[in-house]
Amino acid sequence: MSEQATARYTNDFLREVEKNVEEGHWVKMCMQCGVCAGSCPLGSAWAHPPQEIFMMIRAGKREEVLTSDSMWMCTSCYNCMVRCPRQLPITHIMHGLANYAHRLGLSPKGQPTQATATLFWNNLIKKGRVNELTFSLALYFKDGFVQGIKNALNMQAVGFGLMKAKRLNPMEILGGHAVKDQAGLKAMIAKAREIEDRKKGFAK
Amino acid sequence: MAEMKTAAYICSGCGIGERVSTAQMAKIAQKEGKMALVREHACLCDESGVQTIKDDIEKEAVTHIVLAACSRRVKTEAFNFPTVAMARANIREGVIWSQPEDAEHAETTQEMADDYVRMGCAEVKKMKVPEGNPNRASNKRILVVGGGVSGMTSALEMAEAGYDTVLVEKSGALGGWAAELVKRVPSQQPYADPADTGVAELAAKVAAHPRIALHLNSTIAQTDGAPGRFSVSIAQESGATVTEEVGALIQATGFTPYDMMKLPELGAGKSPNVVDQLGLEKLVKAANGGAVKRPSDGGEVKRVVFIQCAGQRDESQETEGRHLPYCSGHCCATSIKQAMYFKDANPDIDTMVMYTDLRVPGTGEDFYRSGQQKGVTFTKGKTSSVEAAGNACKVSFKDLILNEDVAIEADLVVLATGMVANSGMNIDIPEEEVEKMEVKPISILNLNYRQGKDMPQLKSGFTDSHFICFPYETRRTGIYAAGPVRRPMDMTQAIEDATGAAMKAIQAVENASLGRAAHPRSGDLSYPIVRLEGCTQCKRCTVECPFGAIDEDEKRFPVFNESRCRRCGTCMGACPVRVISFENYSVDTVGMQIKSVDMPDEFSEKPRILILACENDAYPALDMAGLQRKAYSAFVRAIPVRCLGSVNTIWITDALNGGWDGVMMMGCKKGDDYQCHFVKGSEMASYRMSKVDDTLKQMGLETERVATYEVAITDIERVPQLINDYAEKIKEIGMSPMKGFA
Amino acid sequence: MSASIATNQTILVVGGGISGMTAALEAAECGKQVILAEKLPTLGGRTALLYRYFPKMCHPVCGLEINLRRLKGNRNVRVLTMAEVSAISGTRGDYTATLKIAPRYVNEKCTGCGDCGKAVTAEIPNPFNYGLDKMKAAYLPHGMAYPQRYVLDPSIVGTPDGEAAKAACKVGAIDLGMQEETIELKVGAVVWATGWKPYDAAKIQPYGYDRFANVITSVEFERMCDPHGPTGGKILRPSDGKEAKNVAFIQCAGSRDENHLRHCSRICCMASLKQTQYVREAWGDEGKSTIYYIDIRAIDRFEDFYQMVQRDSTVSFIKSKVAKIVQDEKTGDVVLHGVDTEGYKRYATPHDLAVLAVGMEPSIKGVSLPADIVLDSSGFIETAGDGMFSAGCATNALDVNRAVQNATAASLRAIQVINKTASMEKA
Repeated sequence: MSEQATARYTNDFLREVEKNVEEGHWVKMCMQCGVCAGSCPLGSAWAHPPQEIFMMIRAGKREEVLTSDSMWMCTSCYNCMVRCPRQLPITHIMHGLANYAHRLGLSPKGQPTQATATLFWNNLIKKGRVNELTFSLALYFKDGFVQGIKNALNMQAVGFGLMKAKRLNPMEILGGHAVKDQAGLKAMIAKAREIEDRKKGFAK
Repeated sequence: MAEMKTAAYICSGCGIGERVSTAQMAKIAQKEGKMALVREHACLCDESGVQTIKDDIEKEAVTHIVLAACSRRVKTEAFNFPTVAMARANIREGVIWSQPEDAEHAETTQEMADDYVRMGCAEVKKMKVPEGNPNRASNKRILVVGGGVSGMTSALEMAEAGYDTVLVEKSGALGGWAAELVKRVPSQQPYADPADTGVAELAAKVAAHPRIALHLNSTIAQTDGAPGRFSVSIAQESGATVTEEVGALIQATGFTPYDMMKLPELGAGKSPNVVDQLGLEKLVKAANGGAVKRPSDGGEVKRVVFIQCAGQRDESQETEGRHLPYCSGHCCATSIKQAMYFKDANPDIDTMVMYTDLRVPGTGEDFYRSGQQKGVTFTKGKTSSVEAAGNACKVSFKDLILNEDVAIEADLVVLATGMVANSGMNIDIPEEEVEKMEVKPISILNLNYRQGKDMPQLKSGFTDSHFICFPYETRRTGIYAAGPVRRPMDMTQAIEDATGAAMKAIQAVENASLGRAAHPRSGDLSYPIVRLEGCTQCKRCTVECPFGAIDEDEKRFPVFNESRCRRCGTCMGACPVRVISFENYSVDTVGMQIKSVDMPDEFSEKPRILILACENDAYPALDMAGLQRKAYSAFVRAIPVRCLGSVNTIWITDALNGGWDGVMMMGCKKGDDYQCHFVKGSEMASYRMSKVDDTLKQMGLETERVATYEVAITDIERVPQLINDYAEKIKEIGMSPMKGFA
Repeated sequence: MSASIATNQTILVVGGGISGMTAALEAAECGKQVILAEKLPTLGGRTALLYRYFPKMCHPVCGLEINLRRLKGNRNVRVLTMAEVSAISGTRGDYTATLKIAPRYVNEKCTGCGDCGKAVTAEIPNPFNYGLDKMKAAYLPHGMAYPQRYVLDPSIVGTPDGEAAKAACKVGAIDLGMQEETIELKVGAVVWATGWKPYDAAKIQPYGYDRFANVITSVEFERMCDPHGPTGGKILRPSDGKEAKNVAFIQCAGSRDENHLRHCSRICCMASLKQTQYVREAWGDEGKSTIYYIDIRAIDRFEDFYQMVQRDSTVSFIKSKVAKIVQDEKTGDVVLHGVDTEGYKRYATPHDLAVLAVGMEPSIKGVSLPADIVLDSSGFIETAGDGMFSAGCATNALDVNRAVQNATAASLRAIQVINKTASMEKA
């Protein structure tokens, strides 16, 4: 018997998820009814619906789960959560899994939700405020210069509209607005990260 | 008893008076029915009507009454005259409500009413007020066989109700399988953790109870008698025999775990690390609070796999259904409990329950959740094999959710095998078959009954009742099955079941002491009376009695054990020489009704069709058809019978000889899913009627003149249809040529 | 019925369904005095509203007939209908029960002739058909009603209809002046056999019971299949009366669900398996039943029935808790959405009719009870107190067979109290 086979269905990965993934301790409570799978409005876009992911976790399919793009498809509509007969916080678990996979560097490369989230986060923590202009531009150009120009031209009307409504300021390109105590913010985030790392097993 | 004085009461209420001439009915009662007293009343069930009858009984010494009013099924509270014999002519439901209210039908409606009056008068004169079984005995001690949780509970509950109890256990200690358990599945909120079994406390209570006599290391050598007077010989370990006189018995002989060795494909016998559920209890007990060790080498147990439905729910082609076809009900919760043994001791041990349908009904769902909370994992999968792999086991299965075949390793595999009932001998297996068996079956009760040594089994060896509404109705009166011998069940249910069986046993001794019948004719004081001087020793009654009530003496005469009898009358129906009768129900009470009707001549175009209807189903269906004003042919005359099994063929031949044009017999469903309340009555009737064709041919009559139907109580639309179709058929084949010869 | 006939040797049974009738009869046939109190106008309870029983497919009214015969033949049971227990005080062997008896407006003179029903024109929704059709406001609940005595709906009292009913009655059985009565009874023991009610399906929002006509409950389907039910036994779609041949059965509608009922209601799997056979009975090979389930709980020898249904080519099984139902406006079909979890297959399947296998909710939930009655988290009676006991579905989600078994046991427990009280009094 191969080593992988013997490792299958041990609770090692389940325990890892319980320990390191937000709300991961709920995974064991799933009774495989499938109502979450059927309730997801984007369900057809998923390789594995939540109920299946939970079973995969229990089956010890660590790599398949963490490299999956399924949990990245969640749009937080909460349909699954309100219907779950076991009251599992499925939406939160999905985000928790995605975050954990990302932290481990196992998440699928170039997954659009993930790329957007990364850009958003990086943009945000710079000054504690989202810079709409640089964030949009970064999004447009994430797939290269030519595609960026195309995207920008496509979105031209929206951009001007936003400017007119004073929702987008072209001067933001120069750096934009920021929270007052940027050093304080950075310290806060560093502390939060430290706590999270400790919790999720990333502490060095 | 005082001399017979008859009276007939003709009610004109509920529209009877407007539809038929009650005066004519009264005249018939007097002239043809020879009733000594005849009264008409505008509403017989009201105070003045009831008072009139009461006065006649008291002041006029009336002993036999006929009420020509509504169905015998209604107004029973008003018409409650237990000291007199009573016949009820069903004029309301049976005549005016079942006949169209128009001039065209007035004549035939009147004829119907007149005939029912004639029939009532004929019947009542042959009736006696039942006095109760004279061979009654009033021993109220109750014997319980089996000292497990079920048996102990039965004994204790009866003792607590004030009844002396005898408990017989074949082993040297009380407790049964439950004593082997470390803990039990919880029966109380919050249904979260394994609970103490309570077996030791229960056993201590039983042992100390002043009303309970205990026989350990003992088995039943012989059981003689009937409710109220059983004599039970108990064989002791020493070889000595003691006799206990009791009034009723409870068989709580429990179960044997299905032999795991029949499951080599699941690793049984191939690795010491494969055990059944009781095997696991032993391991946990042996560990004595410490960690359970791997049986093969004493190694650490890191992973336990529980395989549900092992050798159960089997009807698959591959195994040719050689294992148990049923589900044992408790095993899912038991595996969860056993997984908790590990999880509660050490959460690092992996425990996986492999199931196809997780069956934890009711609040069992809480226990399931608790198991998950504790980290027990559940996999919907089907195990294909378990093999020894060094000191571990290789479990191959298909994960039905992930839809893939997998093989994993486990240190310990627990097979959830099922329960096999300890019900003794299957008396339905013919003796010649038993002879051929390698392992001879061993009787538990050793009943000295003509029909066999143990209780009849229902299915898969369980001595269950076939009746959904009446779970305790065994086919041996005064003997009740309790616990897993009756049906697969868990401990909570076994305790309930044992308490319920105790209730029925108490009721049996109380009824027996009063000479009354047990279910379903509970309270019936009539009993079978046999005129042995006419008996030809044909043995039909002893063979056909659905309840094994009749034995045979050395000269092969039937010996009626009245207290075992359920009063269905199957013996009466079976008897070719008609020597069996009840005080208020006999060959004559029905026969005279058949002979009493006014038979129109061959050219009248008014055929007469006799309906013999089961009083519990077909007759109420006819009543309800009336209630809903569903019209049917006015040519029928219906007589309720206790059971179709009680129909004696003489009634049929009498009817045909008397010029009746057809006979419809309406009874309950027979076969595997029988609905006959007397188990075999309708089957017996159908068997007897299959031979009636010859008689008909001999008489030169068409075979269609006798027809048997299965009728359910809900056939309210169907019954009128059946009647009308049959009347049509009679019209086609023509009037009986036998008219006028009687 | 006067209070004086009850003593501390009497057992009060609350609820006249099959469990209450059983508890009452078992004790009475042992010679005990019993008062059987039922809040509706007839005994019989929910089993009287079932078409057939699993697994024998026999008719529940057949057993009811036997129990009624036992009752009619036994003078130890006194039946009070339209009676509700409003308070119980005292202790084991010495309780005082207060009962409110609602006016029936028809006294014991009633012969059940039906003249009042003919005279009345007003109609009310028929509760014995779960409101699926209407009945006259002067009515006999059903063919097996006991006592076989008419009832006047309070809505017609004080109206010309009420007067018409009174005028039509030839035996003077109608008493429009009847008032609610309160009586007190001395009893030694109490058996609570208060039964269950179907879970309110409208609370399961995604299934649209309150929005889509072609989504019905299992108890309604049971009435629909009964030849004496609202459709005369025809399986028809409520929306357009079209024959419903393709029927979906949705298991755990409310049960095993922390948002609704925590417990498994035990009977629903078997009930749906049984109901697939109604579809077969009605349409033969043209019928089609689909059971959407989580686990099929065909416990112990019911497994046979499950295997028999599995062999039926008109029945298919999908392991899935249905996510939602939408109604196709054009066809009237109900479209079930979800995922078959065995191998992850999504479906959006149209059916003529969806039957929700609704769970069992204890009737006693939410009712004010004596303080020593302890309910479990689902509202079933866990312990009822020293001289009080629960029977049948008041105790747990049980099928008929188990409810009767449980009620028989409860009967003995009550007898123990009575016998001990008696022996103490003798001493």
